[in-house]
Amino acid sequence: MVLRKDQLEVQLKDEHQLIATGVLRDDSPLDLTPEFQKLCDACRIGDLKGCQEAIATGANINARDYFDYTPLILASLCGHYEVVRLLLESGALCERDTFQGERCLYNALNNRIRNLLLQYDYSKSTDPLQPLASHITSLLTRDNPKTSDICLTASSEQWNLHKFVLSARSPYFSKKLAANPKTTVGKLASTIPPEAFQIVLHYLYLGEVPSDLGLSNRSFVLEEDVFKGIDEVSKQLEIKSLWEGILSGNDRRLARQRHQDEVTKGRNQLEDWFRNNVLKYKIEVEYSKAHDVKWTRDNGIFADVLLRADEKVVEDSNSGNETPKARDTACLPIGIPIGPSAASRSPSTTRKPRKSMLFPVHRAMLLRSEYFQAMFGSSFQEAQLTEYLQIVNVDCSPAVLEIVLTFLYTEKADIPIEYALDVLFAADMLFIEKLKTKATVVISTIGMGTGGLADRSHREAGHDQEVEVEPINIYDVIHAAWFLKVQRLEEFSARYLAYRLEDYIDEEEFEEMIKESASRIQKRQETDSIELLDDIRYYLSERFRLRFEDSGLEEIMDEDGEIHAEVASVISNAVDALRPGAEPTKVETTPVDPALNPFMNGEIRTLDGDVAGDEFAADAINYQVLLGKIDSLLERLKLDA
Amino acid sequence: MISGRGRGGGRIRPPRRQGMIGGDAGDFETQWDILRSALREIHTKNASTLSFEQIYRASYKIVLKKQGDKLYDRVKEFEEQWFGTVVMPKIRSLITSNLVNITLGAVTGITANERRMTGEEFLKGLKASWEDHITTMNMTTDVLMYMDRVYCTDNRKASIFTTSMGLFRDHILRSQLTGSDLITFDILNSVILDMIEMERDGDVTNKAIIRSCIYMLEGLYESDEENETEKLYLTTFEPAFLKASREFYQKECTTLLRDSDASTWLRQTKKRLVEEETRTQTTISMLTSQKIAKVIETEMISSHLNEFLAMEGSGIKAMIENDRYEDLTFLYQLISRVDPSKEPLKAALSDRVVELGKEINKTIESTNFSNAPEAGEEGEAAEGGEKSKAPKQQSAAAKATAAAIRWVDEVLTLKDKFDNMWKTCMNEDLILQTALTKSFSDFINLFPRCSEYVSLFIDSNLKGGIKGKTETEIDAVLDKATTLLRYIQDKDMFERYYKKHLARRLLHGKSESADVEKQMISRMKLEIGNSFTTKLEGMFKDMAMSEDLTSGYRTHIQNLGDLDRKQIDLGINVLTMNYWPMESMGSNNSRRDDGTQIVCNWPNEIHLLQESFKAFYLKERNGRKLTWLGFLGSADIKCVFPKIPGKEGVLGRERRHEINVPTYGMVILLLFNDLAEGETLSFEEIQSRTNIPNQDLARMLHTLSVLPKAKVLTKDPANKELPKAGDKFGFNSSFTSKAVRIKAPVMLGAVNRVEGDEEHRETKDRNDEHRGNVIDTVIVRIMKARKTLQHTQLFSEVISQLAARFKPDIGMMKRRVESLIEREYLERVESAEVSTYAYLA
Repeated sequence: MVLRKDQLEVQLKDEHQLIATGVLRDDSPLDLTPEFQKLCDACRIGDLKGCQEAIATGANINARDYFDYTPLILASLCGHYEVVRLLLESGALCERDTFQGERCLYNALNNRIRNLLLQYDYSKSTDPLQPLASHITSLLTRDNPKTSDICLTASSEQWNLHKFVLSARSPYFSKKLAANPKTTVGKLASTIPPEAFQIVLHYLYLGEVPSDLGLSNRSFVLEEDVFKGIDEVSKQLEIKSLWEGILSGNDRRLARQRHQDEVTKGRNQLEDWFRNNVLKYKIEVEYSKAHDVKWTRDNGIFADVLLRADEKVVEDSNSGNETPKARDTACLPIGIPIGPSAASRSPSTTRKPRKSMLFPVHRAMLLRSEYFQAMFGSSFQEAQLTEYLQIVNVDCSPAVLEIVLTFLYTEKADIPIEYALDVLFAADMLFIEKLKTKATVVISTIGMGTGGLADRSHREAGHDQEVEVEPINIYDVIHAAWFLKVQRLEEFSARYLAYRLEDYIDEEEFEEMIKESASRIQKRQETDSIELLDDIRYYLSERFRLRFEDSGLEEIMDEDGEIHAEVASVISNAVDALRPGAEPTKVETTPVDPALNPFMNGEIRTLDGDVAGDEFAADAINYQVLLGKIDSLLERLKLDA
Repeated sequence: MISGRGRGGGRIRPPRRQGMIGGDAGDFETQWDILRSALREIHTKNASTLSFEQIYRASYKIVLKKQGDKLYDRVKEFEEQWFGTVVMPKIRSLITSNLVNITLGAVTGITANERRMTGEEFLKGLKASWEDHITTMNMTTDVLMYMDRVYCTDNRKASIFTTSMGLFRDHILRSQLTGSDLITFDILNSVILDMIEMERDGDVTNKAIIRSCIYMLEGLYESDEENETEKLYLTTFEPAFLKASREFYQKECTTLLRDSDASTWLRQTKKRLVEEETRTQTTISMLTSQKIAKVIETEMISSHLNEFLAMEGSGIKAMIENDRYEDLTFLYQLISRVDPSKEPLKAALSDRVVELGKEINKTIESTNFSNAPEAGEEGEAAEGGEKSKAPKQQSAAAKATAAAIRWVDEVLTLKDKFDNMWKTCMNEDLILQTALTKSFSDFINLFPRCSEYVSLFIDSNLKGGIKGKTETEIDAVLDKATTLLRYIQDKDMFERYYKKHLARRLLHGKSESADVEKQMISRMKLEIGNSFTTKLEGMFKDMAMSEDLTSGYRTHIQNLGDLDRKQIDLGINVLTMNYWPMESMGSNNSRRDDGTQIVCNWPNEIHLLQESFKAFYLKERNGRKLTWLGFLGSADIKCVFPKIPGKEGVLGRERRHEINVPTYGMVILLLFNDLAEGETLSFEEIQSRTNIPNQDLARMLHTLSVLPKAKVLTKDPANKELPKAGDKFGFNSSFTSKAVRIKAPVMLGAVNRVEGDEEHRETKDRNDEHRGNVIDTVIVRIMKARKTLQHTQLFSEVISQLAARFKPDIGMMKRRVESLIEREYLERVESAEVSTYAYLA
């Protein structure tokens, strides 16, 4: 049941009041910073890359601008489906039965966007930090594989805990454990009821603080004692907010907000801890010596396993020579580097001896990946407890491993576009679905490049000379998409190609790719169309359709009257004349070389070099030319589609 | 890699990565080598030295290079080899020729103990290899996780774990044994079944080892789809097990039928059920628990149930007879397992109840028969004037009444017995309860006088039976009465009798406790309905009213002022005509043929009194008609017997007695007031002067002149026969009695007793007449609502509407319909195919 408008307004008023009294935090605060402005602008024009960048720099995605617009409202109002999806995935709120939420739905340009918004209705979408929090909470009860390294006892109860969590979450434990990192057992004051400890620990492990204490009737302690105990413990452990949380009322929304704040805070604490310990103590050693690194179990950062990532070498003789085969059984020479090579960004590693990076980490956090769960749960070498920490090889570059680890510890993933594909592969190998999605998002947004919606065929003269650096190799992306079955990347690739088709259509690699796509389908024998080409055609039509619409508008608006109806008709006749059956041969016979035919005297040329009357006509011709090229390509490949 | 395309604009594109795709066979072999040696280590339980990461990476690479299918097949191949070369030989070595022989059913000639030993060895071996397989496959699944997730899901293949389970099934369990057609499975089945058989015969077996083999079968499926219904356990072992069990129990049941009695059979069956249930819990799978129970049910219970029930001396008859509650309990439990309607038990119980009930009926009837003709004779004889036999008749009637009460008691005892049985043995089963109720109702209604007897039973209890009983005891009595009432079909008959008996109780003040009477009425109200009790309640109302009237009249007289010594004290009961069963209280002989009341000639004193009361009564209630019923009331008369000259002792003094006589008696006695000493009145004279109906008069005179207790009159001839025309009566001045107050024994009328045959017939006729009217009403009511109705529908409707009161006779209904048609309430619809009636007017 949807609320009526007046009800919504009443709600809005109540909310404002709560916010004004400081009880509730505003979901969408006013934000006038230029960064946020940039995000809003990007949403208006549908600039995916701009959005992703703005989000990555930390603009508040749920803030509102001077006109009370949130980015989500803007994007849905302007009809940018991709942007809306990006925003929602990044945590933009669209909650039914709230004023802003209904406004957003109401404003949606078309049903497609509206449905998307409804799909992401807040009640269904989860708190982005939820998985992390629940994982950490589950550590309290999980006993296989064993990850705890300290055991606290209070009267009859005992808890198997993790030093790194305690140290990260409580300054008290941090100090204590720093002073004496070898402790494996601890005693808690027996005067305080165990129930109090239970709650405190639950809190430390990012669990929700219960609204009631959940004391069973059978327990011998009074609620009062438990409260006292909690008070005492929380003071001692310097975790005041727990006490405040318990004292607070039962308002569900407030409780939710508090819990979210707590989790965010906890996450930040973990992140700090992670950066100050794990990352700080990562060691770079020579590849050949990496296996010999010995860490004792009682290290200062409580790590219980070392993850090793080797820097990649370009396939050449040097690296082969350096690999001591006989000694290094854990890291066999990699005949074919499956993981992406990082040669382009690590200049001349071949000169220097190959390096390996070791990260001291905690199994408890690695368990978030099913790969590690299976590893530590099995009875293989890695699962055994040895005097020195096990060194586990991870088949990716140190930088990628760092991203993966950061994600596992903090749920944060700042993936630079150049690593995005590597992260995608690593996440796939380690079964970290969320990270995979994040990498996908990065690729499909940043990867789009500046191309965006602005059509390249109408770039102004000045831009033509600029060398465009494509952020990503589209062939890699599409292959990755096929390998790892990421539908979204397939779509992205098709779109990417469609918007740059003139650059790719004549390449041999493109042809190969079409063949491959066709063969993929033939294997399945479901249809006889080529998926990739279908997608490309679809996005091509979208690309030009938009242009046509724009041009039509321009035509009317054009006050200078440069385009006369007469001329236009002549040209369109010419275009018509060009069409019948001529294209295939023409495309093949006419050498396409725009470089030789620069724009001279303001002439507008189509892709096949003919002079077109104006941009509009040029677009029409271009569209036909591209479609024609596709057809001829298919003919050459003897494929029906 | 700079694209030369863009219009003059350069474009830098990141280089393509190498080795993302493709890969050659050589690489596959390298990775596979790693994997194969790892698998071997895993299988030889040396996994702890292996690096998970390394093995995983190998499989990951293979799958990423699209060689998952190859890997999948190789792993399968490896497993097959492993089974063939390592596991199977071990198992084969455990299969001795003895085991094969057992399986083939050949006579082995070795002891059970040996058989058990070899069997256990075999099971142990199989179990060990299964457990090893599970462990290794779990580890293999771990390292091949990527293949399972990516390759198997994409190609819709079963996971490697499932596949390897299938391999175990095919290569171990289904592998053919050398030198015979048997597969391992056959051996397994026969060993387990053999062990179970031993256990059934009382041997001890190793349950745990069987259990773990069963677990194995439960974990395996017919196909790789792993349908829950296709567990090997269900498809292979269970049928064999059920078949073996069936044979076993068939045999056992036949043996039992031949050698033992029903009681042993019950106990054995019960024991087997428990045993098998335990077996499903401890030895084989719970999945079978229902099915094996079913087998026992069909083989042990259903198949020979009737034979066992009919067993002489231990069958159901004997059980009921001898109160073998334990047996009955078992029997009930067993039968309810196989037959939710419990047909055989139901039938047996019903038969038994009816049989016993009929016996009761018969014994009572036979005592009745011995009396009834006599009573009839005596009735005639009495009229003939043979007074000597009159007391005998009295006692005969009393006997009949006692018989009635005995009948009720016996029925109640029977009921108690079966109720008790029903509670202790039958778990208060509702189906059986209805069956019992029905059979009770059947035999009770078979007894023609049930209504009368039940009413009499209540009467006797209310009259004195409840004296000195506690409230709970009274409640129990009332409960019993209500139960019986429930069984009676002809409620109208009962109502008639009850009314009659109640009227007597009320008018003659015989009721022990008005409170209990009211309780009884309210129970009946609950049981049968309001309409049934309105008249009875009306009777109570009349009684209360009459008391008020009497006291009101008394004050009225006192207020008149002139206190007359001779004033007769009047206690009066005003009865509403409709409520009271006048005719059944013996008033029918006080009516003329046209039905009008014969009014007796009241003596003058009485007449004045009547007039005075009438005036008082009609003052407040105008327009009512009072009829005086002489035969119902009683009067206290003070008599003075003069001293008889010349006599000593008692007779020598003047004696005053207060005699309580019926109203008629008073009328008669008043006649003698005016008589001179020694004068007599003849029967005819008395009759003509009092106008009392002959029969009543005769009885009255009999009381006053024959019975010694109040023999205030003399009779001539002085015999003990009932007075009749021609007798002469005089004042018995020599009457003596020790008591001052004498209550003249009332021969008939005041005491409720069993009706004679004549009376019974009359009651029945009256009842039929009444029923006819009721049927008329119901038919007219139905037809008025429906306008037209088919014959059968009409009849079923009438029967259903009357069910609460009585079961109408079809013939009578037909007659009523005819008469209604004659009276033009109904008409036949001529055009209808089946006979149909239409309502007129």
